[in-house]
Formats: sequence, structure tokens, C-alpha cells
Amino acid sequence: MAASVAPVLSTPAEHIFEDPTPITVPSSEARLSDEQLYLQYEIKRTVSEIRAGKWKRVALQFPDDMLVDAPRVFERLREGLGRGRAHAPGLSEPEVSDVADGVKDVKLDANRREDTAASQSADDTEERLCILADTSYGACCVDEVAAEHVDAEVVVHYGRSCLSPTARLPVIYVYTSKPLDLEAAVASFEQTYPDKSERVCLMADIPYSHHVPALAQRLREEGYTNLFATEVVGDPSSLLPNRTLPQAVQQDPAALKEYSIFHISSPPTSLLLILSSRVKSVHIFPTDTAQPTALEATTAQLLRRRYALITRLSTVPIFGILINTLSVSNYLAALTHCQHLIKRAGKKSYVFVVGKVNAAKVANFSEIGGWVVIGCWESSLIESKEFYRPIITPFELEVALVGDEERVWGGEWVGDFSALLGRDGNVVGGGTGAGREVVEGCGEEELVNGDGAGEGDWGEQDSDDEPPDFDLRTGKYVSHSRPMGRTRPSPAAPTLTADSSDVSTAPPATSSALVQRAAKSDLATVNGAVSPAAEYLRSQRTWQGLGSDLQRIAYERDDEGRIRGAAVEEGRSGVARGYAVGEGDNGARK
Amino acid sequence: MVNFTVEEIRGLMDRPQNIRNMSVIAHVDHGKSTLTDSLLARAGIISAKNAGNQRATDTRPDEQERGVTIKSTAISLYGELEHIEDLKDIAIKTEVNEFLINLIDSPGHVDFSSEVTAALRVTDGALVVVDTIEGVCVQTETVLRQALGERIKPVVIINKVDRALLELQMSKEDLFQNFSRVIESVNVVISTYFDKVLGDVQVMPDKGTVAFGSGLHGWAFTVRQFASRYSKKFGVDKNKLMERLWGDSWFNPKTKKWTKVGTHEGKPLERAFCQFCLDPIFRIFDTVMNFKKEEIPSLLDKLEIKLTGEEKDLEGKALLKVVMRKFLPAADALLEMMILHLPSPVTAQRYRMETLYEGPHDDEAAIGIRDCDAKATLMLYVSKMVPTSDKGRFYAFGRVFSGTARSGLKVRIQGPNYTPGKKEDLFIKSIQRTVLMMGKYTEPIEDVPAGNILGLVGVDQFLLKSGTLTTSETAHNLKVMKFSVSPVVQRSVEVKNGNDLPKLVEGLKRLSKSDPCVLCFISESGEHVVAGAGELHLEICLKDLEEDHAGVPLRISDPVVQYRETVAAESRIQALSKSPNKHNRLYVIAAPLAEEVSRDIESGKIGPRDDIKARARILADEHGWDVTDARKIWCFGPDTNGANLLVDQTKAVQYLNEIKDSVVSGFQWATKEGPVAEEPMRNIRFNIMDVTLHADAIHRGGGQLIPTARRVLYAATLLAEPALLEPVFLVEIQVPEGAMGGIYGVLTRRRGHVFEEAQRPGTPLFNIKSYLPVSESFGFNADLRSATSGQAFPQSVFDHWQALPGGSVLDNTSKPGQVVVEMRKRKGIKPEVPGYENYYDKL
Repeated sequence: MAASVAPVLSTPAEHIFEDPTPITVPSSEARLSDEQLYLQYEIKRTVSEIRAGKWKRVALQFPDDMLVDAPRVFERLREGLGRGRAHAPGLSEPEVSDVADGVKDVKLDANRREDTAASQSADDTEERLCILADTSYGACCVDEVAAEHVDAEVVVHYGRSCLSPTARLPVIYVYTSKPLDLEAAVASFEQTYPDKSERVCLMADIPYSHHVPALAQRLREEGYTNLFATEVVGDPSSLLPNRTLPQAVQQDPAALKEYSIFHISSPPTSLLLILSSRVKSVHIFPTDTAQPTALEATTAQLLRRRYALITRLSTVPIFGILINTLSVSNYLAALTHCQHLIKRAGKKSYVFVVGKVNAAKVANFSEIGGWVVIGCWESSLIESKEFYRPIITPFELEVALVGDEERVWGGEWVGDFSALLGRDGNVVGGGTGAGREVVEGCGEEELVNGDGAGEGDWGEQDSDDEPPDFDLRTGKYVSHSRPMGRTRPSPAAPTLTADSSDVSTAPPATSSALVQRAAKSDLATVNGAVSPAAEYLRSQRTWQGLGSDLQRIAYERDDEGRIRGAAVEEGRSGVARGYAVGEGDNGARK
Repeated sequence: MVNFTVEEIRGLMDRPQNIRNMSVIAHVDHGKSTLTDSLLARAGIISAKNAGNQRATDTRPDEQERGVTIKSTAISLYGELEHIEDLKDIAIKTEVNEFLINLIDSPGHVDFSSEVTAALRVTDGALVVVDTIEGVCVQTETVLRQALGERIKPVVIINKVDRALLELQMSKEDLFQNFSRVIESVNVVISTYFDKVLGDVQVMPDKGTVAFGSGLHGWAFTVRQFASRYSKKFGVDKNKLMERLWGDSWFNPKTKKWTKVGTHEGKPLERAFCQFCLDPIFRIFDTVMNFKKEEIPSLLDKLEIKLTGEEKDLEGKALLKVVMRKFLPAADALLEMMILHLPSPVTAQRYRMETLYEGPHDDEAAIGIRDCDAKATLMLYVSKMVPTSDKGRFYAFGRVFSGTARSGLKVRIQGPNYTPGKKEDLFIKSIQRTVLMMGKYTEPIEDVPAGNILGLVGVDQFLLKSGTLTTSETAHNLKVMKFSVSPVVQRSVEVKNGNDLPKLVEGLKRLSKSDPCVLCFISESGEHVVAGAGELHLEICLKDLEEDHAGVPLRISDPVVQYRETVAAESRIQALSKSPNKHNRLYVIAAPLAEEVSRDIESGKIGPRDDIKARARILADEHGWDVTDARKIWCFGPDTNGANLLVDQTKAVQYLNEIKDSVVSGFQWATKEGPVAEEPMRNIRFNIMDVTLHADAIHRGGGQLIPTARRVLYAATLLAEPALLEPVFLVEIQVPEGAMGGIYGVLTRRRGHVFEEAQRPGTPLFNIKSYLPVSESFGFNADLRSATSGQAFPQSVFDHWQALPGGSVLDNTSKPGQVVVEMRKRKGIKPEVPGYENYYDKL
């Protein structure tokens, strides 16, 4: 009876690496000539910077669509570095072939690193290069953790970048410039801004940013007087993220409202949201169409959709915090900030690290009502209908939890969480606002009690339940949106002093008002702590594990009352690394 | 001055047999509020002079301005019978001639039907007002049906008799014929909705359950009143005389005998009703209106009416009013009819318990309700919220069915989704105060025992619109009210100034509390939507929102209609989707659900909480389902109670129980936003035909199956001739024959069609019933008015869903296709409907 081999459970390998999330960037154009490669990947600058920094172990990080060029870049760099070394011993043959092999593998094996063999043969002064492919999170972020795996001292980041500040390693950014039809851009610009004195900021997506000075020059020749050509700087929390600001704006941030932005190539959605909330208008000059004309970008509809998501999440009891970066500095501060926000709202949060986010991964946790992504400012805005529960950014979380009486939407949109952390003062203000609201509520109750029967003393009031929250999204009441309980206002609050005489007769009530009170004492607990997830398992899931449904299953039975169907067979045992199949007691242990 | 005190009322509350809870219901403009005035005047709440003009129960300024009731208003009155010996005639033994009348005046316009439903729930009897001339109209029928559904006993008053006399100059016999026609049509409605437990509740003038009168002039009479006047004179028993004073009964003055034949020696006799009841009234009208001054004093003498000095100087209508009001005060007739013929809570709750209570009929709560026991556990139903002067706070308005509600009592507040044993929608809270609702005002009251209507302070934050309050831990809910109207017309609102958003949000919260029917939500595309039953309802709600609840300037969009996505056929091939890891497959077929099943689900006859076997029985017996299928319904959706079903038709699939939760989650997700235009689905049955699953639990988790379930349901829908359902109004129009042509034109232009046309007996008016798509109804009333020079009066109420005709939704040149494109654009999604290939995987 017992099978001697494991049933075939694995599917062919080609299925496994099918990434369900489509790659957005069309992969490599025509193969570049050596000359182009040299220029586009800025080999010369890279080499000199590496040499200047005297770094010996260098990680090269490529986005997926540039991986084809990775081995050639690798070789060029090594050549360049080799030439730079006075006593360079040249390249050893085996290493080169190793790299070539490695590159083929890179597409299949995410974490393959060219370090083991190379390290033995390399002499002390030779730089060790390695290619990092398939970044753990977004391609725009520097994958510091992967780089640390190879002990890199510096990372060379290729392709478009979010320029988020890194915490551990120095980075050399190579933007891999792309060509631009300057004349078309100028024509389109003139069409968009007929008024030559219009205040316009010229901005370009990172791969096009080197065209900005040239374009500005051309336009000034055409007679535009109030142009400002932005330059790339590594400051995502700037008013124009990662770009320099006009002089006037540096002095008075409000002046930015008078500027329009002419943006070359489509910006990422989050950048668009940020920009359009801060400037007069944004026009986008597309680079992927044959006859490009600049179009005005509108974000109203997108913002409204985000608003729908946010209001939906404001009554969710359990949040998941997705860590989508390990390199952006302050991510830990952002995490604690989010945890704190969620806790203060009386909700529960769980922290998840899942690598690249996709629908299948996060749908595994159906008890989570909504997700907050802590990632770089560019990639954490995820606009997709495929996710079972919505995903929002820390900024949006703040808005969602601020309380209906204070929520304002549509003005600004903040992508960068370090900017958010900087505004902590504001948030605390909002918090006390919520507190104030509770205090008022109590005052009212007291007032009503005063002229009523007055039987509801504070001891009794305290054991009353929290009122339900109004779910704006559905227009109904949600009863347990704050499973962890709302923080009660401290009795020291000035509005409550009037009551303290009453309270003095019931000291337990006062002390219990200080601690966080679980809204429901009969919620499921794990090790004594209230656990909304355990409660979800208990009350929402119909299937709670093997054997939990034995009572309910009605087996089909034949005439003699025996269970019809397959007989119980010996199954597998052991751990997932290697099951023992059908060997039974004697087989497995021999 | 008010002729009673709160203490007196509190005293009466302890004698449930002396309480009458009643609502005044009728078609719009038949005179409910005006009639109510005469009762208030009797109670001293308003002056007799103003009665009939003040409409004191129309407490809102816009109600007064428009002359239409919008909110139902409750008021408690003290009443007594004129003759103490009448106490014997009450069905239940009553010793004291003091009565507490809890009266609720309700709106007549169909858009506000939900207010009527909320009023009916807390009352036991209904005063149905019918216009003599217009007769039984649409809304009369609707509210009567609702009343009978709640087991509420009706009595009728035929109103505006003065118009019949003054404007139409009807003869006595014509008036009688008119009366009997109206009563006949009321009885037709009543017998259509006959309820065995409630018994025969047809109304008869000779039983005393019909009154005739004029609310405007403040007079009314019942046959019984005349019978008691004449019984002494004739020396006949009052009850016998009542029978003789109505119908085919004549008094022959020659023979001094009562006969059943209308002629004597070839000459027609005058009908007893005309001779004894109508004649005095006609004489008064004749004398006063024809200014026969000299005859007036003798007439008044004969009728024992005394006028004061000033009143004697009046003439014409003013005099008529005074005389009639003294001769036949409306309050007397109404009070008599209500006290004698409407049930007390003790009587009513005995038969209403089973329709009111969700739980078993023999538990302590059920028994408490049945016996109307003030000492039993508290069972209180909150039927609506009434705004207080304190902005944002509400009185919870309701009725104590069992036990006693008092200030400070700790109660369990159970929302509509509460199920015993679970914590969802359950709150524990003390009642802060109990109050007596007195129209515009409230009076604090210590406690309120079973059988009474009250207002509660301090529970408004826990209930959105309605709910059950109890002290018993085992009590089930009192049944959630079902409204006859649905919020199908919606408009989106936004603030003009972004910083006002919190005020709008707060306003929307208040708005959704203050109206039993309105729905305020945020659409998927991020708009704040207010949905109402009709244009008028929405207009009032938005006005309240802008001026009162939010108090900030708003931008309001054009009205839009919510559609539903459905399928027109069975999926042409079995839909298959694979999980992201390709290890699990779901096979599903979508098929249309029978319309009757959907209606049963929407009306609550079939629901997710029913016993599985009982539900399967209904589905098998009434809708021809296979019993095994019917027992394998996994869930209802969207929101776990919608009219889409997920049915497991698989055979012997291993691990199926394990993935059920995931598939159900995917189903709820998919049915909430369909594939065609992200509108909710309706009327689809999804059959899970087969499932293959990976043997390892980790590879068949929620992450793999929830998105897959959604995909496969989308694929199945798109493969099954997807279609859109649009809401359709039932429009009833009253119109004179001459203007009928115009109606047909307007209806045809708007895709409407007439399905019934009947002349109202005895009038030149026609009653037209037609169906009109809601999307075409905007501006319909104005259009109709201009087409018929203002002679047509339409009443629209949501009736059903119908497939949007004109081709496939997937073809964007067809009309439905265009509607879809329009909707998708509005929602900010790409205009083309994705093909089924997006969700379908090849094997």
C-alpha cells in the first residue's frame, strides 16, 4: 500500500520563477555599442570615484532591465580599475569565465554572488567587484543588506534611483542617461507656455536629468526669462524631492505655488502626487511616444481614490506594517512611529518583512485589515486593485488615524517618511486634539447626568463600552475597530478637575482611567495579552486546523453506516526539508 | 393650557390597558397633520382657534413652508371618553376613564415611507386618513399594507367632507355612495393582506371603525355618536341602532318602521344614514353658507349648540367652523374611535410578539413581550433617532415592549448585526435619561414601563439608526425593520473649501443618523455619496446637510443611479483560474439566480443566518432547487447578505473545508465590485464545479486562494453574458382623462411604460401605473407637470431591478456599453472592460 517514493508535488521549475507582478520597464533595447556602454554607464567617473575612495570591495547593483549589460560593465570597470593600479597584475583567466557563468545564473539565482572563488585568487590591492541582481525590495533603492553580504564597502547603483539617504554604505549613483529629442522638447515647451515670462521649473526624470541644463540654455535663447533648471540632489524631503529649489523658494516656501513644472518623462506616481500638491501646475513631456506633446497631469482622481482607501482603513482594527526597505535611513524610526500611531488609536499592528510585495504574499494574512508600507518614498505608493486589502503609506496612515473630526484631504501629499518624522510636533498636536474630544465627551455625559437621575457615577461609566465608529466607506457602524482600547484622558486634564471630587470616592476608577483599557475583556488572549488575531481565528475562521472540524463533517455513509470513500492511509511525517513518506513507525525510525 | 401633567401621564403608563399607541397614516395631502391638530387642541397643546392651520406636529420650518410632513413626530396626550358607560364597549376590561394616547403623525409622501415604517413599529393601531374626493391612493395602499404587515389594526377617517359639500355640492345620497365606495376600496386592500392572527380588521361605519369629518374645520363624527344621540329618542339599543344607521337601511316615517327596502308605495325613501346623520350637517351648511341668519338660532337650539357672544357675530365659513366644531368636535369622534377600537399594548403585544421577536417564542424575553410585563426583563426597540437641540446628539426614540426603562439602568445595546453569543454590535451602557416625546418638546420622566413610547438620552452613539435594548444576556434582537423604499438615487457632495472636510464628515454622520433610510458612504472613487429614496427625499437630506448638519457650503453633483452587475446566461465554458503558484485550480460556473430568489433574499425571507435545512426546504419547494445544492450554499454576498450565492457542487475534494474561508473572502470581495464596472453584483449564482489543491497546506493558504477565487468569479461572470441591472420606479399617476395623452408621451420618451390604467370609481380621475427606470426619472415630475398643465400627480417608489436593454455591456457602442464606459471613466479606471482572458487560465 504505502508509496515508496514521495508523490510528485513540485511543479516544473519554469513555473516557480514566474513573477506574478509584471515588469513595468521594457527590458533592454538594442544592444549598446562599447562606446555607448562606456558613456552610458559612466565607467570613467565610476572608476575614478572608486579609486578616490580607496574602496576595495565594490557591489554593482543593476535593475532587472539592465542586467544584460551587467557583465560588460563589470569587465570595463575591472579593466579601468586595473589600468589605474600602477602595479596591477592583470586579470586572471579563471575569474573572467566565472563571471560570465555567473551572469547567466544571475537571472535565475537571485542571490548568487561572485565572491567565493574570486576572493582567494585576488591579491590585497585588487578591487573586488560583484553584481547584485534581483534586489530584495525596489530597484530604485540601494540594497545595502545584499551588499553587506559580500562585505562591500561601496555600492554602485545603476538606473533610476529614489536617492533615499542610506544608513550604512556610501553609494555611487550612475543614472544611466537616456537620449532626448531636444528640439521636440523645446517645441512642446513653447506650445505649453506661450507666455515667455512664465515661472517654470525644468525637471526631468533621473535618467534624463543631464539634459536639463542644455534644454534650459536653449529655452533661454528662445526668450524665456523666468526659467529655473533644477539639479539633482539627494534630498527626498526637499520641496521638490531630490531637486534644487529656486532662490525665491528657498527663502519663502510658499513661492513655489507660483511655479509651474515642466517634467521630462513621466514621474513615478508618488512624485506626481507630491509635485501637484505643491506647484501651480505640472506638465509632463512624455518620452515613450513618437510625437510627444506635453500634457497637464491631474491627480485629483488619484487622490480621491486614495481618500477612499484611507477612510476605509480608519476603522480597521488590525494593521500590518510591511517593511519594504532595510536601507533607507530612519526606517526604524518610521516603524516605531507607525506602531505608536496605531497603538494610540487603540488598534493592533503586526510587522511583516516579505521582500518584494505581491498580492499572494500579503493575502496570506486575512486577519489584517490594511497594510502600511515602510519603504522608499517612491516605491511605497502601491496603486493596484489586485491586493485583497489596501496598502497605504505612513503619511496616509497618519491621515487615516487622525480622527474624522480633523481629517483634511487633498492639499498636500507627503511621500518621504523622514519628512513625516520631522513633523512629529504636528502629529502630537493632532493627538491631543483627539484627547480633547474625549474629554469633551465626558463633560457632556457629566452634564447630562447632572440634571438627570445622576445614578451613573464615574465608576459605572468606566465599565461602559466604547461607542462604535462610523465607517465612512460603508456608512455603517463598526463595533470593534479599537480592540486594544482607547487611551483614556488623564484625570489631571483641566476639564476633569471639576469631577475629581466625585472620583475621590472611587479611587479604583481613577487608577483604571490611567491605563489602557481593553475595550472588551472577553477578547481572545495569548499569554495574557489581548490578541485580535487570535480573536479572528476564534470567531471568523470556520476552519481552525486539523481536527477542528471533526464534529461538523457529515461523511457520506453507505447502507451499513460505514463511511464511504477512501480509507485512512498512512501519510507523511517529518519536517518540510525531507518528509518520510508512508514508512510508518518501523520504517521511519530504523 | 395643557390640561394634563407629566405626573398624570406617568400614572397612566402603569395601566397598559388604558394606553393606545397609534400612528396617523395616509397618502400625501389627505390631511393627517391637520386632523392631528384637533386632537392636540383638545389636549390643550395648541389653541382651538389654530387647530387645523397650525399643523403642530410639523415641527420643522421647511415642513411648515412646504406644507408637507417630512419627519414623523410623536406626542403623548391625555384623553377620556365622553360617556363613562362607553367603557363597557372596550374589548379589554377597563375600569378607569382616563387614557394615554401616544400618537405619531407620519409623512405621506412616498419618499419618506421609511419614517412611516419606523412609526408603525412602535404603535399598535393606525388612524388611516382618506380624502373623500381622491379616495384610496397609492400611498394609502402602501401604508396600509405596511401596517397590516406589522399586525397593526386600522381605523379610518374619511376626511375633507367639507369639500364634498362646499365645492362639489354633492347630494346626501351621492355622498353616501361616495363614502361606501371609499370604504369598500379600503376594505379591498385590507382583505388582500389578510392576516389570520390579526383576524378580520375590515372597517365598517356600523361597527364604529370609520369616522367622517373635516380636519380643516375641526369636526368629525362616527355613526356610533349619532346612534347614542338617537338611542334615547327612539328607545332602541345603541348597538342595534348603529347597524340601522348605515348601509341599506331605511326608516319609513309613515309606518314608523325600519325597513330594508328603499321605497314606500313606489316613492323613494331617504336612507337612514342620510336622514339621521347627514341631514343635520347639510342643514347647518345650508343655513350658514346661504346666510339664512334668522334660521340659525333655532337650528342651534335644536342641536343644543351654544355660542358665545363674539361667535354669534361671525358668519360664513368662520361661523360654520365654530358651529360644526361645537356640534361634532373632531377630537371626540377620533378619541372614541381610537379608545374603543384600537388595541391596548396588552392586547396587541399578545399577537405581535411572534412578528417582533427574532428569538425562540418561549424564552423569557418573548414571554415578557407577550404579556407586556413591566416587571420582566427589558426589551426595548429603538426605531429612529430624533435630533435634539444639542447639535449632533439625538434622542433614541422607541418603545418599551417588556420591562421598565429607567434612568441609570445598565442595558445591553444590540445593533442590527448582533447575534446572540457573539460580541459583534453589542455594547453595554447605562441609559442616562428617559424622556417623554411631546412634539417639538420633551419632558423628563423617571421611568417608563412596558407598552409605552419614549425617548432615551445617552444611547445615540451606539446605534446608527435602530436597534434593541435589553437587560437579558440571552435575548435575541427585535426584528430589524424592512423598509418599502430603497436608497437608489444618489448624489455626491464635496466641500467647496477643503478645510471644511471634517465638518462635512461630521454632517454626514449626523445625517445618516437622523433619517431611517438615507445612506451616506464614500464610493470606491473617493466621493462622498448621499443616497435617498427619491428626488424629494434627497433634496431634503442635502438641504439638511448643508444648512444644518454640516453647515458649510457644498458642491453637489447631478443625481446618479447605482447599477448592479449580473449575468444573463450560464457561463459558456467552465471558468478556470490557477493560483499564483499554479498549484491550485478553481473551476466555477456562473448562472443567473431566479429573480424570486433574489427578492426573497433581499426581503429577508431567505438569509445567511437561517437554519440550513429550513432554508434548503424553501429553496427546494418554492424555487425548484435541488435539495443537496440548496444545503451546500457556502455564503451570500456582498456583505454576507446580498443576493448572490456561492454553491459548492464539488464531489469528494480533499482539503475543501480548509480553503472555504479563503474562497468566501474572495467571493465577498468579487461580489462587492464586479468586473464590468466595479458595481456590486446581484442575482448571480456561482457554482464551484471542481477544485484541485496542493497537498501541502502552505501552498494552499489564503494568499494563493483569495485572489484566485476573485479571479475565477470574474472570469465566470464575464463568460456568462454579463449585464447591468438598473433600478426601476413604480410610478402611480393620478390624472384627469383629458391630460392622459401627455403622460404617455413623457413616459415613452423616458423608457417608461404603462401597465395599468383604471378609472377611479365615481370620479373623472384615472389612475395610471407604470414602470420608469430611475436613471430616466430625474426631472420627471417637472416634465410631467408641464406636459399635463399641472394636472398629473405622480408618486414614484423603487420597485425592482431590470436588465439594462440595448445590447451587451462589453460592446462599447451599445447603450449599456456606453453606460459602463461612462461609469468607468467617472471611477478613474480604464474605460475598456477587461476581457475574461485576464482572469481565465488555460489548463
